[in-house]
Amino acid sequence: MSYESPIRDQLVTGGKTYRDVSSDITRPLENAPSKGWWFGFSISSVCLALWIATTAYTMIVGIGAWGLNKTVGWAFDITNFVFWVGIGHAGTLISAVLLLFRQKWRMSINRSAEAMTIFAVICAASFILSHMGRPWVAYWPIPLPNAFGTLWVNFNSPLVWDVFAISTYFTVSLVFWYCGLIPDIATVRDRATTKSRKFWYGFFSMGWTGSARTWHRYEIISLILAGISTPLVLSVHSIVSMDFATSLVPGWHTTIFPPYFVAGAIFSGFGMVLTLLVVAREVMGYKNYITTEHLDAMAKIVMVTGTMVGLAYITEFFVAAYSGVEYEQYAFFNRAFGPYWWAYWTMMSCNLLAPQVFWSRWARTTPWFLFLMSIIVNIGMWFERFVIIVTSLHRDFLPSSWVMYTPTIIEISILIGSFGLFFFLFFLFIKFLPSINMAEIKGIMNMHEGGQAHEHEHTHEIIEKGAIHGNG
Amino acid sequence: MSTNIRTKLLRKEPFMETDKLLILGVYDNPDKTYAVTKKLIAGGYKVYDVYSPFAIHGIDRVMGIKRTRLSVAAFGFGLTGIASALTFMIYASYFDWQVNVGGKPSLHIPTYIPITFELGILFTALGMVACFFIVNRMFWGKNADIMDLRVTDDLFVVAVDVKKGKGDQRALNQLLIDNGAIEVRERIKEV
Repeated sequence: MSYESPIRDQLVTGGKTYRDVSSDITRPLENAPSKGWWFGFSISSVCLALWIATTAYTMIVGIGAWGLNKTVGWAFDITNFVFWVGIGHAGTLISAVLLLFRQKWRMSINRSAEAMTIFAVICAASFILSHMGRPWVAYWPIPLPNAFGTLWVNFNSPLVWDVFAISTYFTVSLVFWYCGLIPDIATVRDRATTKSRKFWYGFFSMGWTGSARTWHRYEIISLILAGISTPLVLSVHSIVSMDFATSLVPGWHTTIFPPYFVAGAIFSGFGMVLTLLVVAREVMGYKNYITTEHLDAMAKIVMVTGTMVGLAYITEFFVAAYSGVEYEQYAFFNRAFGPYWWAYWTMMSCNLLAPQVFWSRWARTTPWFLFLMSIIVNIGMWFERFVIIVTSLHRDFLPSSWVMYTPTIIEISILIGSFGLFFFLFFLFIKFLPSINMAEIKGIMNMHEGGQAHEHEHTHEIIEKGAIHGNG
Repeated sequence: MSTNIRTKLLRKEPFMETDKLLILGVYDNPDKTYAVTKKLIAGGYKVYDVYSPFAIHGIDRVMGIKRTRLSVAAFGFGLTGIASALTFMIYASYFDWQVNVGGKPSLHIPTYIPITFELGILFTALGMVACFFIVNRMFWGKNADIMDLRVTDDLFVVAVDVKKGKGDQRALNQLLIDNGAIEVRERIKEV
């Protein structure tokens, strides 16, 4: 009936029972938050306040509060936007693409990765709104009948495509995330000891009973949502890349952009997933659910996508040289050896060279080292967008327009503040929602006859090792 | 149905003829739940539903649940999304108000592909999930009619409708217990 592949170690360790899973994962929801939680939440709240203040300042004063000039019209704002959208991609990759590939290890990380997607897209959208300068007219890219003589938006513009792509991505991710949450919200509802918890989790569980008929439909819609999210996630970053690729700016006008951006997005997203989960498994005591095997698998994806991105960097260089177009050649020469050389080499070393350490199993399974690497990946991917945007723009076709770009304190504060926004939402998430998908985890524990996992160590060793499990 | 149980039930609350009398077998393991469901159906009992904390693979086939048509609905919604996006863009940019942007053609289907694709996905997801909630009669704030508080935690419940199908409760009890039930209960479900 099913094929048990002995490739992987157990996905859930520690001889857990179903009840253990429920109580371990709902512990943060049912108890007062720990000191560590308050510490992290306070810091992110402070950063969030900074974000609110500086974004409000930008809206009052205008884009003049930023270091932009006539030549460099996009810099920190769009860098941060692309950075945050990219972060989001790992969540969809884990929940959708890995579901289609039947990668069972995704199950203990998909919930938090999807939450990360949603919060990252919120951060990204905030940059789009603020970079418009007049956010109160942010509805203009939406094709609405209007007072300007039925002047519709230009459907040929990638910026309009982007509006549709990002909003669809956000909506579908939210729906997917919520559908996945319903059975777990019901678990919290049925364990609830306080009135308010019973009411709120009861309200959002939509009367979930765990009936086989519901589960049957639930499995089908999960599969279809995964099936449509997979091309969606690829399309979103492809469209983001077309914001650049369809222009005529040397260094942007590149056909390699869509796959290169998608690989970069997955790379940076896994960087952020590692940052979050290496800490979360430690602080929240989820080491039996997010095992070193999970870290190992994620590190492998980081290495593969990092190398793909590195290949794209080198290909771009080669194509520029080979094209014989002097503007292209200059743009790339200027990236590596011009005034922003430090940004370029930061990007190269963080994204191409650093992940090569993951050829070693020690590097893939040592949490503190992975945390360090994940920060390096985040920095590298932020610099990638900075390099693409700023170094391509700051040398205009007209040499009299050549300038340097320096961010103002406001822009730096908004960047720091956006991390505040992201972590603020993430801390609320781990406090109020089960951050590991309990229903799916219970499904892969597969406790056969006996009920207690440790009573039948021998059979379990063979059965639970299955990477391909069940009769899917 | 033994009259003994029937009188007991009658004393507690009125038992309408339309109500279902469910016998619940409570299990602690998905394999046992699967096996007993198979045996019950083979033995001619009417399995009303099986409740579990997670999806038990294959139990839908054992219970004879027909494959849901939600996927067909999803496809329909997808087509609707694609058709509406294309129709709207062609209408807006060609028929309603042409705008000359750099002398480019007003009607240019290839550049409509991204938005058409995105709206196809959006309609599919929202429409399908809405249908999912409708067919399951799920809505915000609904009171859950759960068979056991722990059915969302670590227990599995097989509910047998003894008014439909075979009604031999003594044999049913024995069958449920012999297959590892940790508890057998009864419950009246108003329809």
